[in-house]
Amino acid sequence: MKEISELNFPDDLKYAGNHEWSKLDNDEVTIGICDYAQDQLGDVVFVELPQVGDTFDKGQEFGTVESVKAVSELFIPLSGEVTGVNENLEDTPELVNNEPYTGGWMIKIKPADVSEMDGLMMKDAYLDMLKG
Amino acid sequence: MEALPRTILYDRHVALGAKIVEFGGWEMPVQYPSGIVQEHLATRKQAGLFDVSHMGRFIIRGNNRLPFLQHVLSNNADALDVGESQYTIIPNEQGGALDDAYLYRFVEEEYLLVVNASNRVKDWDHLQVHAEKIGDVEMIDRTFETAMLSLQGPRSKDMLSTLIDSGLLPDPLRNKLSIATLAGAEVLLARTGYTGEPICFELFVENADALKIWDILIEKGAHAVGLGARDTLRLEAALPLYGHELGEDPQSSEIPVFAMPLSRFAVSFSPLKGEFIGRAALEMQFTSLKKIFDRDYSAIQDLPRLIMPVALKGKGVARAGYKIFNNDEHAGYVTSGTMVPYWHTRGEGIASVLTDEHSLRGISLALLDSSISEGDTLEIEMRGRRIQAVVVPFHMRSEAPPFARAIPWDRLHSEKTSTPEAKTVTKARSILDQAIRNTSWRQKECINLIPSEQTQSAVTRLLSVMDPCGRYAEHKQVMAFSEAEVFYYQATDFIENVEKRLEEELRDYLGCPEVETRLISGQMANTAVFSALVDYLNRVDRKSEQRRIRKVMNNHIIRGGHLSAQPMGALRDFVARDPKTEKPAVVNFPVLPENPYKIDVPACAKLLEIHRPELIIFGKSMTLHHEPVADIRAMVDALALDCTIMYDMAHVLGLIGPHFQRPFEEGADLVTGSTHKTFFGTQRGIIGARFNEPDPEYDLWLAIRRRAFPGSVSNHHLGTLLGLLMATYELNHYKNEYQENIIRNARAFAVALNTCGLDVAGDPDISFTQTHQVILNVGYAKGPEIADRLEKNNIIVNYQAAPEEEGFTASGSLRMGVQEMTRFGMQPAHFEALAGFIHDVIVHGRTVSKDVAAFRKQFVDMQYCFSVTEFEDEIQKLHQLLR
Repeated sequence: MKEISELNFPDDLKYAGNHEWSKLDNDEVTIGICDYAQDQLGDVVFVELPQVGDTFDKGQEFGTVESVKAVSELFIPLSGEVTGVNENLEDTPELVNNEPYTGGWMIKIKPADVSEMDGLMMKDAYLDMLKG
Repeated sequence: MEALPRTILYDRHVALGAKIVEFGGWEMPVQYPSGIVQEHLATRKQAGLFDVSHMGRFIIRGNNRLPFLQHVLSNNADALDVGESQYTIIPNEQGGALDDAYLYRFVEEEYLLVVNASNRVKDWDHLQVHAEKIGDVEMIDRTFETAMLSLQGPRSKDMLSTLIDSGLLPDPLRNKLSIATLAGAEVLLARTGYTGEPICFELFVENADALKIWDILIEKGAHAVGLGARDTLRLEAALPLYGHELGEDPQSSEIPVFAMPLSRFAVSFSPLKGEFIGRAALEMQFTSLKKIFDRDYSAIQDLPRLIMPVALKGKGVARAGYKIFNNDEHAGYVTSGTMVPYWHTRGEGIASVLTDEHSLRGISLALLDSSISEGDTLEIEMRGRRIQAVVVPFHMRSEAPPFARAIPWDRLHSEKTSTPEAKTVTKARSILDQAIRNTSWRQKECINLIPSEQTQSAVTRLLSVMDPCGRYAEHKQVMAFSEAEVFYYQATDFIENVEKRLEEELRDYLGCPEVETRLISGQMANTAVFSALVDYLNRVDRKSEQRRIRKVMNNHIIRGGHLSAQPMGALRDFVARDPKTEKPAVVNFPVLPENPYKIDVPACAKLLEIHRPELIIFGKSMTLHHEPVADIRAMVDALALDCTIMYDMAHVLGLIGPHFQRPFEEGADLVTGSTHKTFFGTQRGIIGARFNEPDPEYDLWLAIRRRAFPGSVSNHHLGTLLGLLMATYELNHYKNEYQENIIRNARAFAVALNTCGLDVAGDPDISFTQTHQVILNVGYAKGPEIADRLEKNNIIVNYQAAPEEEGFTASGSLRMGVQEMTRFGMQPAHFEALAGFIHDVIVHGRTVSKDVAAFRKQFVDMQYCFSVTEFEDEIQKLHQLLR
C-alpha cells in the first residue's frame, strides 16, 4: 500500500468521487480507474465491462473490477453510449494495476452532455478529497 | 478503543511495506508491495515466509492430558508418538466444529495445540471448562510469548538445512517434528503447513529469537507472504478455513464436520478415544457419508451437503456466498472462491518443469448437495449472470515434490496417444524393427547398471520360449496319495521333472529343505507368504473372521525397504491395523544416525520387546549391507517370541554364499526373492523354507504351497520355469567366482566414483558396499534429470529417493548395480573407467555416448554361463524347432 504522495495523478484528467478518471478527446471520453483505486484493490484478476452500444446514465454501474480479495463496482462518471471497450483486459487484467491511465483504460463513450465533464474534479481537488 | 495486539514481527512487516489489516483480533500484513499474485507464485516456485504468530498456541500437560485431549478433540491423540502431529477438530455436541486445530507432540510430557486466532478466546474457555471437569490438566496460553513462522515451498528445506547448528530437520514425511538449534536459537520444527506445498515447515520460537530467524530466512531469499496469498494458497490446496468450510454456512446453519473431506482423517472412532464430545453426531454423519459414497442417499439428512472443489469454466470470479445451481435448482453455495495464479509447465511427466509464464484461473470450494458428484457441471450465479463451473477432484496435487502442481479443470487427464493409422502388417513390421533396435542397443551399446535387472544366457533364454511356454501344468499335493503331486493335465511328465530338478538345485543353492518355484515374481512370492501366514495363524479357528498378522517389523520404505514388503505393496491386506495409530501395524528397523542404510542392531532389542512382531521381514531394494539375521534371531529366541523371520532377498538372491551371507545358517525361517537381479534367471519368484516335516511350523510351509497354487497362479509360466532351471545350473556352477567378482567390482566402482569427487553413499571404511549396489548422491531432486542425461549417453541407471528425500520425484540419488556388467566380463579396472564416463556426464556435462558404445563392445560375450559352442548341436536343434 502506497502513500498518496507516491501515487501518480496526471494533470490532464478529470477525477470522480468513486476514483474513476475521464479524459475528453475530440467527441469521445475515455474512462478508467485511477492509481489510488488500483493500489487499494491490489492485484486485479478480472474486469467485467459492458458492450459497445450500451448506454448509461451518470452514476450507473457499468462494470466490475475484481481483485484477488474483493469485487468492486465501476460507476460511470458521465452519461453516454459506449463506443469502445478495452478487450486486452480480458486476458491481461493486470494492465489496470500496471498502466492505469494508458493500457489499463476501460471504456470509451460518446457523452450525452459534454458539460457533465465540468462537474468532475481536477487533480488538486481530488487529492484534497483523498487526504480528507 | 483498545489497540489491537501485534505480533513480535509487526515492525518487520511495516518496514517491508506491508498493507496491514485487522484479522482475528490482530494487526496483520495482508500483502506486501509485490502483491498477492506474486506472493502466491513465489511460494509455489521458491519459498514463502509467513508470520502466523497470531494463531493461538496452548500447551497442555498434567497427568490427565491424554484423556482430556481424547475427550475434547476429534482425532486420536493417543496415536501421536513424540515427534508427530495431527490435524484435528474441536467438535461440539452437534457434530459441528468449534474450531479446527493442529496437535503437536514435540516432547514426551506435553502437547501443543494450535488454534485459529479468531477463535482463541472461545476455544480457551471451552477447553478450560472440560479441563476442570476432568482434573489434573494444566493449560498454558503461550500465544504472546512465542512466535510461529511458516516456511513453505520447494526451496524451504535448503534454506533451513544451512541454518542448522545441531539437531536434524524432521523426517521427510508430513506431520513429522523435530527440535533443532538454528542460528543459535532453539526451534521446534514441524513438517506442516497451510499451502499444500510438499516441502513445508512451521517453526515455533521464543519471541526473543523470532526477529533473528525471520531476518535470516528473508536474507536467504524467502519471500514474505501475507494473509491474502495465504488464503489463495490454501484454497488452491482445497484446505478448509474456519468460517467458510467449517462453522456456519451462508444460511447460518452449522456445517457438519464430515461435510469437509479432510475430516475423514481428522475424526477417529478408535476405542481408545472412548466417549468424546460430538461422537454420536459424528458417527451418524460418518454412516451417512459411507452411504453417499455408495450412492445410497437414504441417510442424506445427516449430511445433506458436502464441501467440493469447483472450478470455473467461464470467465468470472466466484465469491463466498454466491449461489450455485444444478439444472436450475439451487444446489448450494460457494464457501471460498477467487482467481489464483499458477505457473505454466513445459514438458511431460517427470520431466515437466515450471516455466516463467503464469495464468490466472477461477477456483472455489463449495457446499453442495451431497448427491452431486465429481464431473458434474453446475452454474454459479454472480451478480445477475450465471457462469458454468465443474466439480473437480482437486485443484492441485502435492505428491510430486519438490513442487506442488496446479491441475486446471481441463487438464485433469493426459490425452491418450494413439498410433497413426496404418495397416496391421505395417504395424507388425514396425514393432519387429523396434524390438531389433532396442535389443541391439541394450545388449551391445549400453552399460546397464540397473541393480534389479539381468541378462539371461542364450541357452536360458532359448529354453524359455520352447514348447512349455504355451502349456499348463497345475498340480497339487494330495495327502490321500501319500502326498504325491497330482497333475490336472496330460503330457506334463517333462515339466514335472523340470520342476523337481529346479527344486533340487535351489534347495542346494539356498541351503534349505523346502522350495516353492511356481510364483512368477518376487512380489507374488511375498504375497503368498503373507497370505499363508494369515492362514496359518488362523489354523485352529476356521469359522471366525480370519485375523491378520498382528505386528510386522520391516525396513522403512524411505530407508531402502522393498515396496513388496510394505503396507502400500504386498503386505496391505495381511497386516492388522494398529488400534493405537489406526495405521497398518508395522514397526520399522531403527537405523544408524550416521548411516541410514544400516540397521541399528542394539536398538532393535527394545523395539522387539515392546512390539513383539509376529513377522520380521529383512531385505531392501537399496541395499549396501548384510542384514543382521543372526543378531535378530538371537534376540527373538531370547524373548521367546512367536515370530517368523523372513528375508526378502530379491536383490541379493544371487549373492548367497561365503562372499555375502547365508540366510538359513544365520537363522532365517523363510527366504523369498526374485530370480532375475543378481540371480541368473528368468523373471520369476521363489520361496525357500527351513521347515522339515516333523516341525510344528511345517503347517506354515503347507499353507505356503496352497497359497502358491491355487492361491496365486493357475498357470505358472512353464517356459520361464524351464529357463530358470538352466539359469540355476549356471549359477550353481559358477557362483563362487561370480559372487566374489561382484563384491570386488562394486567396491572398485564405488571407490573410483568417490575418487572422482562424486558423493558415494555408505561407509568408506568398507569401501561403501557389501553387495552389488553402489548409491551415488547427485543433489536434491536432480536424480531424474541426471539419470535421463546418463541414458542419453548409453549409461542406464535408476534414480531413487535417498532417506532424507520426500518422494521419488525429489530423488537425489542414483542406484546402480554391477551384476549384469560383471557377467559380461567387466573387471575393477573397467569399472574405474566407467566411473570416469559417469563423472564426465554428471560434472562436466560432456557427451560420451559414442565412447560408451565403443567401450561396451569389449563386453558383449557373457561369462559365467554355459558357452554356446559347448552345446552347439542342441542349440541349433532348438532354433530349428522355433521356425
